[in-house]
Amino acid sequence: MSTLAAAQREFARSLLEEPGEARAGLAVYRASVGANFAAALAATYPAVRRLVGEAFFAEAARRFAVSHASASGDLNEYGAGFPAFLAAYPHAAALAYLPDVARLEWACHDSESAPEAPDFDFQGLARIEPARYGELRLLLHPSVRLLESAHPIVAIREANAPGRDGTPERVEGPDYVLVRRVDGRAAASSIAEGQWRLLARLASGDTLETALGGEPSGAALAAWVSQGIVSGFTACAR
Amino acid sequence: MGGAGVGIGLRAAHHREILERRPALAFVEVHSENYFAAPAAASLEAVRDDYEVSLHGVGLSLGSSDPLDPRHLAKLDALARRIEPLFVSEHLSWSSIDGRHLNELLPLPFTREAAAHVASRISQAQERLGRALLVENVSAYCALGPGEMSEWEFVSEVARRSGCRLLLDVNNIHVNATNFGFDAREYLEGIDPALVAQFHLGGHEARGALLVDTHGARVADTVWSLFGDALARIGPRPTLIEWDTALPPLDVLLGEAHAAQDAIRHSAATAAA
Repeated sequence: MSTLAAAQREFARSLLEEPGEARAGLAVYRASVGANFAAALAATYPAVRRLVGEAFFAEAARRFAVSHASASGDLNEYGAGFPAFLAAYPHAAALAYLPDVARLEWACHDSESAPEAPDFDFQGLARIEPARYGELRLLLHPSVRLLESAHPIVAIREANAPGRDGTPERVEGPDYVLVRRVDGRAAASSIAEGQWRLLARLASGDTLETALGGEPSGAALAAWVSQGIVSGFTACAR
Repeated sequence: MGGAGVGIGLRAAHHREILERRPALAFVEVHSENYFAAPAAASLEAVRDDYEVSLHGVGLSLGSSDPLDPRHLAKLDALARRIEPLFVSEHLSWSSIDGRHLNELLPLPFTREAAAHVASRISQAQERLGRALLVENVSAYCALGPGEMSEWEFVSEVARRSGCRLLLDVNNIHVNATNFGFDAREYLEGIDPALVAQFHLGGHEARGALLVDTHGARVADTVWSLFGDALARIGPRPTLIEWDTALPPLDVLLGEAHAAQDAIRHSAATAAA
């Protein structure tokens, strides 16, 4: 092991793990590292932060940083494990919906950094015999995320947006959520369960025939294509 | 871009205002990582229509003992190809060990081993990106073990070995001169002007006996004075006003940029006289 590696390992250990007061220089780094992680988490999870309050959030962020190492030089990738952390966090147990609101916020964050997709290939579709449409597999846009929850997470998130009073329009019942990117920003909407299940089957790679299961859903499919939610198709068998 | 124009760090809160007002700036500089995502890169392309752009990375961890992250390099490469930046710069620091990222610009020990190591990694990155990197001297609050040379000898050694050029942060030199008790002018004397491609200017704050490089204040008078010395010793270079925390109105940054422009003009007039 090189001297440099040993010095870096020791420095990281004392910065992250040594309890108590640090010498002045190390304390500057420790404070800065903690503040950077907390700020990144707060930027990704604003509704969770508002729901639990600033002090609770700061403590949860501190504990999360200790148990979950950042795995990327890009801080925008930090915090994927926070919903699971909250689900197992005893102090948040009274807020049953909290982990799912966090999952929704991560899905929105993740959706915003998803790749672009090429435009839908209508000419390519026109070359396929309508009788064979059932064999197609539809591709959802890379920014699409599908979540289901036992709680009305979209309404809870919206009620906790800046300028809102925190009272959700709906306080109970399940939610079937479609997240996608519109003009560079994530948009989350509650959709009908049947439509959500159809999208989930398409996302899992079912052929159109299998996904539809004999239900007529032409209008929904056309709308999804025009909105860019369905962004392509593959005609080849898997 | 010809000559030694002045730019500012572009942060998300000023994006729209910059595009609407289009203030006269030689270039803008952004943190590379914030534009890795597709929509962000598209918004930077819109800025690129009006301004030269410099990509300033904070996450490559050039000085780490870990292998370079090929995924991070690939994203930086894709962004650089899309934006065609004026400069691609990174920091002479490390931020990860054993796969764990601290996402902070941590100091290297000023040893021959560390200089050789970081220089070889800069060479790898330059090869992958197909261009020369600018590497910035960082501010520091404690040393990572005993050194074998001064900071300016270390910085120069890394640049000579790797062929990279230097982004000399004048504020960081002042901060380190205070924190470690050396003479900032001696630092400047120790730098070969030919290695320097860009200057950074930013604000710092005092915390106890230490100066901390917060990028959250105006450039201090002592740093303006040191910038004058840097211009006299090294010559004019593209210069950037950096401000990250407690971001003020855009006009405050533009005022600092004007002050930097005045300093460059004054230095040129003095040199000609």
